[in-house]
Amino acid sequence: MGKYRSVFDIIGPVMIGPSSSHTAGAVSIGRIGHILAGGIPDRAVIHHYESFARTHKGHGTDYAIASGLLGLAPDDPKVPNALAIACGMGVDIEFIEEDGDSPIHHPNTAVLDMEKDGKVVSFWACSIGGGTIEVRRIRMDGYDMRPSGLLPMLFIEENHSRSDSDKALSTVEAMLGRGGHVMQKTIYPKIDGEGRRMIGFELEHPLSADQQDEIDVLASRLIYLH
Amino acid sequence: MFGSIAELVGAAEKTGTPISELMIQQECARSGRTRDQVWSRMSQDLDVMLAAAKKGSEGRGVFSKTGLSGGEAALLDRYRRSRTTLSGDTMVGAVVAAMATNEVNAAMGVICATPTAGSSGTLPGVINALRERIDLSREGQVRCLFTAGAFGLVTANKAMIAGATGGCQAEVGSASAMAAAAAVEAAGGDPATCAEAFAMALSNLLGLVCDPVAGLVEVPCIKRNAIGTANALICADIALSGGTSKIPADQVVAAMKSIGEAMPASLRETGAGGLADTPAGREFRKTVFGE
Repeated sequence: MGKYRSVFDIIGPVMIGPSSSHTAGAVSIGRIGHILAGGIPDRAVIHHYESFARTHKGHGTDYAIASGLLGLAPDDPKVPNALAIACGMGVDIEFIEEDGDSPIHHPNTAVLDMEKDGKVVSFWACSIGGGTIEVRRIRMDGYDMRPSGLLPMLFIEENHSRSDSDKALSTVEAMLGRGGHVMQKTIYPKIDGEGRRMIGFELEHPLSADQQDEIDVLASRLIYLH
Repeated sequence: MFGSIAELVGAAEKTGTPISELMIQQECARSGRTRDQVWSRMSQDLDVMLAAAKKGSEGRGVFSKTGLSGGEAALLDRYRRSRTTLSGDTMVGAVVAAMATNEVNAAMGVICATPTAGSSGTLPGVINALRERIDLSREGQVRCLFTAGAFGLVTANKAMIAGATGGCQAEVGSASAMAAAAAVEAAGGDPATCAEAFAMALSNLLGLVCDPVAGLVEVPCIKRNAIGTANALICADIALSGGTSKIPADQVVAAMKSIGEAMPASLRETGAGGLADTPAGREFRKTVFGE
């Protein structure tokens, strides 16, 4: 199964120039941060590696990631002035050009450390070309998850203290199975125990809006990366 | 999902369906969307492409913030209208559309990545020629994008389409090959002939390095799309005349992948080698970023 599955991964995205990997892909990486942080983070440190580190200034990677963190879309005209907007909103964003090799072995790598309401979230992502990205590691709430990278991904937190937790999970799995969605399922135990586990699903198709709503009701905690 | 170009061509021949149609059917099946939804989204992408090509060639054209690029598509268009050109009106008109698109991209305007932003001018340039030369209908232009997308999917999955991993051959080379295949179908060629045009177009641009001056997507990127468009049209004509690549399309893709992997990082979108490392290139970096 290739990394590019839709004709619109090739013809598209419609975007603000100049680079699909370093601008459009970077906006998508920022948007993943927005979702994982649960909104616009208070502070974000972006570590650029290899090609990102060398050309982020020329390719607008910095303002692209910032615009994603603000929740903007790749073709939003405000993308180029996202840094000024973030600054105006008091969002502290710092960029670091790392010298070493990419920790996830890709020339277009960014690692984001974010803070929101005292909560720290980190993730490792890379932009593989044509605006397509991969998310290869997520560290949050005592979980350290290493999915294969392909989007969309769905994470559901299972909480044994909730009596109906197993039932909710099996209903979600049945629903995903019906739509032929699930490509890979991974169980991530919480590092500090507490009996909590995060179930990661790597999906072949995007979820529809009502599928997302349906799951939202069932799962105690849902993270949908797309 | 077609695993190879041979599989794509075989399926098209067996069912007597054009590659553009196979791509539409597969996209509907995979995404669960209706044909109208898939077609209208592609039609919108075409509108973005046509608008960018127009914007970049009108009046004095568009200019990038860095001052490194801009205005040359409009210059070329005025030249085309004022005298007999050396490479012919259609070819120069196609190159105008290609450069205009990439100048809009460099000026941070709205473009459609086909398959990437750095190579976004190549396919629109070819479509411009098909409109002027064989009066390709609006429907035919949208179909072109599906054919190009089908070949691009195999290339992206079997090799790469990012300059950072495979050099400019992976960006403009892929775009040129996709466009050549799409042009052949638009001109009435059969699926096998599309694959020949694809193979020759990619073969002609193997080894192209990604050496962006000052790390921008301007020099030499904009004019690389000029050769991307011209190469696609020439290879489409050669294939339609009966000329063949001798090396099968899938093997050319595999060669592109191994060449990309053999390229040093300095030539893969780091702005450290090639034209970026010339005295003039280094000077531009200093003036643009004051380093």
